Amino acid sequence: MSHLQLDHLHLRYGNAPAVEDLNLEVQDGELVSLLGPSGCGKTTTMRAVAGLLAPAGGTITLGGQDITRLPANRRDIGLVFQSYALFPHLSTFENVAFGLRLRKVQDAELRRRVGDALEVVGLSEFAARLPANLSGGQQQRVALARAIVIEPRLLLLDEPLSNLDAKLRLDMRGELRRIQRELGVTMLYVTHDQDEALALSDRIVIMRAGRIEQQGTPEQVYARPGTPFVADFMGWQNILSAGNVPEPLRRTHPAATHFAWRPESVTLGAGPTSGRVLARTYQGEHLEFLLDSPLGRVKAFAPVTAQWAEGSELTFTLPPERAAALRDA
Amino acid sequence: MNSSRVPIIILYLTLVFLVGPFLVVFIAAFGGEPTLKFPPTSFSTQWFTKVFEVESFRSSFLTSLGLGLMSTSLALALGIPVAYALSRFRLPGAVVIQTVLTSPALVPGLVVGLALLQYFINLGGSVYPSLLAAHTALLLPYVVRVVSTSLINLKPDIEEAAISLGASRLTAFRLVVLPNIRGGVAAAAVLAFITSFDQVAVSLFLTGPGVSTLPISMLTFMEYNYDPTIAALSTLLIIFSIGLVLVFERVLGLSRYV
Amino acid sequence: MPGRTVTPWLLVTPALLFLTLVFLYPVVKLLLNSFSVGDTFGLGNYTSFFGDRFNLEVLWRTLRVALVVTLVSAVVCYPAAYGIQSVPPRYRGLVTALIIVPLMTSPVARTYAWLVLLGQTGIVNTALLRSGLVQEPVRILYTEWAVYIGMAQLFIPLMLLTLISAMENLPRDVVPAARSLGATSLQSFTRVILPLTREGLVVGGTLVFTGCITAYVTPALLGGARVQLLATLLYQKAGVTVDYAAASVISVVMLALTLTVAGVLRGRGGRT
Repeated sequence: MSHLQLDHLHLRYGNAPAVEDLNLEVQDGELVSLLGPSGCGKTTTMRAVAGLLAPAGGTITLGGQDITRLPANRRDIGLVFQSYALFPHLSTFENVAFGLRLRKVQDAELRRRVGDALEVVGLSEFAARLPANLSGGQQQRVALARAIVIEPRLLLLDEPLSNLDAKLRLDMRGELRRIQRELGVTMLYVTHDQDEALALSDRIVIMRAGRIEQQGTPEQVYARPGTPFVADFMGWQNILSAGNVPEPLRRTHPAATHFAWRPESVTLGAGPTSGRVLARTYQGEHLEFLLDSPLGRVKAFAPVTAQWAEGSELTFTLPPERAAALRDA
Repeated sequence: MNSSRVPIIILYLTLVFLVGPFLVVFIAAFGGEPTLKFPPTSFSTQWFTKVFEVESFRSSFLTSLGLGLMSTSLALALGIPVAYALSRFRLPGAVVIQTVLTSPALVPGLVVGLALLQYFINLGGSVYPSLLAAHTALLLPYVVRVVSTSLINLKPDIEEAAISLGASRLTAFRLVVLPNIRGGVAAAAVLAFITSFDQVAVSLFLTGPGVSTLPISMLTFMEYNYDPTIAALSTLLIIFSIGLVLVFERVLGLSRYV
Repeated sequence: MPGRTVTPWLLVTPALLFLTLVFLYPVVKLLLNSFSVGDTFGLGNYTSFFGDRFNLEVLWRTLRVALVVTLVSAVVCYPAAYGIQSVPPRYRGLVTALIIVPLMTSPVARTYAWLVLLGQTGIVNTALLRSGLVQEPVRILYTEWAVYIGMAQLFIPLMLLTLISAMENLPRDVVPAARSLGATSLQSFTRVILPLTREGLVVGGTLVFTGCITAYVTPALLGGARVQLLATLLYQKAGVTVDYAAASVISVVMLALTLTVAGVLRGRGGRT
């Protein structure tokens, strides 16, 4: 009943096309992330789904109903903003009660539902506080409670964690996942942070310049990037054009334009290629070496016991079995 | 003298220059002589009593008060929607709209008054409506500017949040926007009222027998009377302004809006 | 949102209609009227206005007053605005209030203060006589000096507030940074503060200059019939001698001056 489908969606930002011919499905109860750098069209897409932006073409279907032209205030879609967008003049309780009051929910039921929502996000004691007197993480939870209390058919979250500090972000990530599972709500999650998308999602949709570049489960997009763009986004730091890699590898993937290796896949100290250490940086669990080689610059991790100094020459291997074959979109 | 003290000394001297003359008016208002003299040689409060006895002051004060309240309300009613539209929508021709709306602040008040005198009153229009219209036009740019400032500082996403929770745009404005721009609206109202209440240039041509505003009555009175009545009235007006400024600076931070 | 193309127009139309009807139409008509002689188009009103030496004198005096007052307020307000940083924070609100009070006070009451101060029996003359510097009362009232003084008091608050806010918006620590790089306090003013507050200076300058050109009460009360400016001349032509042709020419000249100054300064320094 909360199945979202976007067909041939075209969106404009001002007069410039922001999203072109986007097709996307989100299953009932599924958590899908729209992942991409700023300007890729992910937030624009979310705003169109919310009804805050009229599409230039295409249709949006929610639970079998065409909502393309339905006003935003009649869509029953919960929205959580990057800035939280709490109503500064209303208490936590009244912020959460806002949508219910508009729906003319009776007082007793309203109290119960607001109480439940605040309990879900762990803010029961803060009901009387104004947003200005809450921490960033608490404001975030109020925004979430306010969106879920109306029992939306779909929950949209726009970079909800990006204003929190690193530790809190990790905590809230787990919380979001728990709440989504607990309520079974369908969720579309917009982020530019690949770790967040990997940790949270059932499925990740990677967007670039208004189009979908690749989609799949977190494991799929992480381990098997299809394009240099996705590989780069997923932390495949060594992306070499096909002309630079040894012949046998090229032959097994004739269509590939690039090959990529993660820094931890590069074997240092033995192999056919030699490079000079440009930088050696300590990263706690390992050392990172930046090498200048005939293949281009290569990043590799080594145990903290490794002794190569900056400026020294060493050999390395790019194991073919750990390469990702990429095709420029 | 330490050279780093020079700026603050200049600041204090400037303040004396700006506010000092008011003290002189206060003192002159309590003089006992029948013509204005400074410093006065005797003490009297009779001029304060006289302010309230002069019929033209009484009637013009009521005119100015009513005119100020009405033109302020009208300017708010016309101006708040414009400020909202300009800050929340991308309008084709927004520059033209903005220019038209600021134009009453660019055209000298005397010219506005003269124009309305020639093309409204002289063609049979009545005085009070044209005064009201001229004052309202004059206040609109202030209202739009001050309210726009508050609206720009208020992120549009709280309206979108309200809409996503089921509010229409009008409901979102009433429940979410208006409560958060109260300060700006109140500041706009205070500034607008004072601008109307103190207005001379626009009113000069638009007052006549029967209808006069307080500042115009004061100017007329001064032509024929040399006693300190005007000093007493000025004292009252200055005290009123000081009170207003202090209260609103404390409550609203008026200086942010001037 | 659906309806987004209609809603904003519904919001701006009443105000635009209102202004067109009660403001734009009469003002434009008044301005156009200056170009008609009898029933035909012509520049006759202009040639006769500018052919009169007295009118040219008034025009020149208006420009002089506006220019002098603008320059003086800039010169006074820069250090004064800078000085507010040395005011203890808890008194800053009071200082700001003192700057705003004159702005919020009836210009008649404000100007009246100068009548008391500058008159033949006013405090300035009394002091001068007592000190023996002069033997007879000096005429200050109804001279250009009185107009300068009144205008300065009228418009310094605008310049001061604009510059204070421009200085508050200076990036933090730019002056200490300049000083640490070896700039003298004069150099840090001319090389750092002045360029960074130029926009505020332009805005304040425009307000003061156009204010001086259009102010009526101050020249009327302090300048009197002897020291006329365009505004008082306009009142005399339209209100006393009922010479609407000359009045409309003065209207055009005043408007042209204020718009030119606003436009030129805006072009040189950013928004106004």
